[in-house]
Amino acid sequence: MANLEPTKQRRGLVAIDGAMALIAILLIVQIWLLSAPLEAFLAGHSGPVIPAAIFSGLLFFACVTLNAFVARIDRSSKER
Amino acid sequence: MSLLHNPSKDPLWKDEFSVFTSDERYVTRRQFTKFLTLASLGMFVGNLWIVLKSYLAKKPTYPIAEVASLGEVPVRGVKLFSYPTPQDNCIMVRTAEYEYVAYSQKCTHLSCAVYYSAKNDRLECPCHQGFFSIKDGSVLQGPPPRPLPQIVLEREAGKLIATGVRVSGNG
Amino acid sequence: MHGYEFYIDPSRCIGCQSCVKACEECETHRGKSMINFDFIERGSTTATAAYVCWHCDEPTCAMACPADAIKKGDDGIVQSSLKPRCIGCSNCVLACPFGIPKIFPELEQMMKCDMCYDRTSIGKRPLCATVCPSQALSYVRPEELARRREKPTNVFYFGKQKITTRVHMMTPPGTDTVSLDVLDYMWEEKYVAAAQPE
Repeated sequence: MANLEPTKQRRGLVAIDGAMALIAILLIVQIWLLSAPLEAFLAGHSGPVIPAAIFSGLLFFACVTLNAFVARIDRSSKER
Repeated sequence: MSLLHNPSKDPLWKDEFSVFTSDERYVTRRQFTKFLTLASLGMFVGNLWIVLKSYLAKKPTYPIAEVASLGEVPVRGVKLFSYPTPQDNCIMVRTAEYEYVAYSQKCTHLSCAVYYSAKNDRLECPCHQGFFSIKDGSVLQGPPPRPLPQIVLEREAGKLIATGVRVSGNG
Repeated sequence: MHGYEFYIDPSRCIGCQSCVKACEECETHRGKSMINFDFIERGSTTATAAYVCWHCDEPTCAMACPADAIKKGDDGIVQSSLKPRCIGCSNCVLACPFGIPKIFPELEQMMKCDMCYDRTSIGKRPLCATVCPSQALSYVRPEELARRREKPTNVFYFGKQKITTRVHMMTPPGTDTVSLDVLDYMWEEKYVAAAQPE
């Protein structure tokens, strides 16, 4: 990264910041997807449990994709 | 998978303790993103755990307990009792001469104790204006997300006994 | 930085040590000069040379530091060791091919030239280049060097290791790199010759 021009470096950092913010939002949704069905399940309603697990899994894979994106930017910045 | 591997060809220690200050900024962000992804995995595993528990849950068995004797409360009268355990407070309402209904008293919103409003002929929660129907415990208005669990009542030898709990809308 | 580069021409050094004295004036290390001043072969010549840190592109001192105390910034300047981190182990002193870092055991700290970062970061000249009367140490724009016969180079070979630096050395025209092999300067030939059978 030391050898990249300042604009490219700044753009890379901005992209990573955006990906991080997106992951944080997805995480908040996942927190809700965990807590609401848990509450329903403990009250006896097991209806929401499986759809919530499916969507939580989808969000997790979205997080993994964003993490790979961040790693790719990091890797491209290290090519000296 | 980038969760486990180092993106560049340098060894991991060289990457994370880089001598170039500009790289240090990237490492912090990369580490944080990795941590967030692991947190996401943790929550997904939590969801799977709940799915597992819901499949392994046994059908609950309920004791038989006496609630009241017939005629003990007048029409539109109320009796409070505990069923199935002493911590589960319930409310029994005599809606007509030969009709009795009983529900769990814990409001499904935030567990405040509901009371019977004779004037409005419904169960009301004083905390956040949640109203339940006296006929089947379904939500008429307010923040409660689920209907009140209903206590199954049976007549036996001039007495009302509780034989089980019916949680409506079970998935 | 700011369009200026640092050039060292040892052949111009007259040994006045103004750079040494000027460097000592800095508030951050008052009394301790960061100039590496060499008497080249004092017994037989008055030739001298003054060197500052060469701010290598891949600083060996930084890579050898076990405490991660030496950092190279975005502007290419290798900073002196970070006070909270330096443990005074002298690894950098041994690692630097130019012999620049100075260890101060009483402080348990290494200190070296940082090209007067407090001055160069705002566009001023380093103190040594400002006071050098013969401009053996000069901090000028590259165009101003066109008048000189010597040409700058910043590629060094130490044995097989290639080192590129931020600071340039003035070399005779036609010299692209400065190659040094330590073994060439060792006197083991005397022993090798002595060990040969007659």
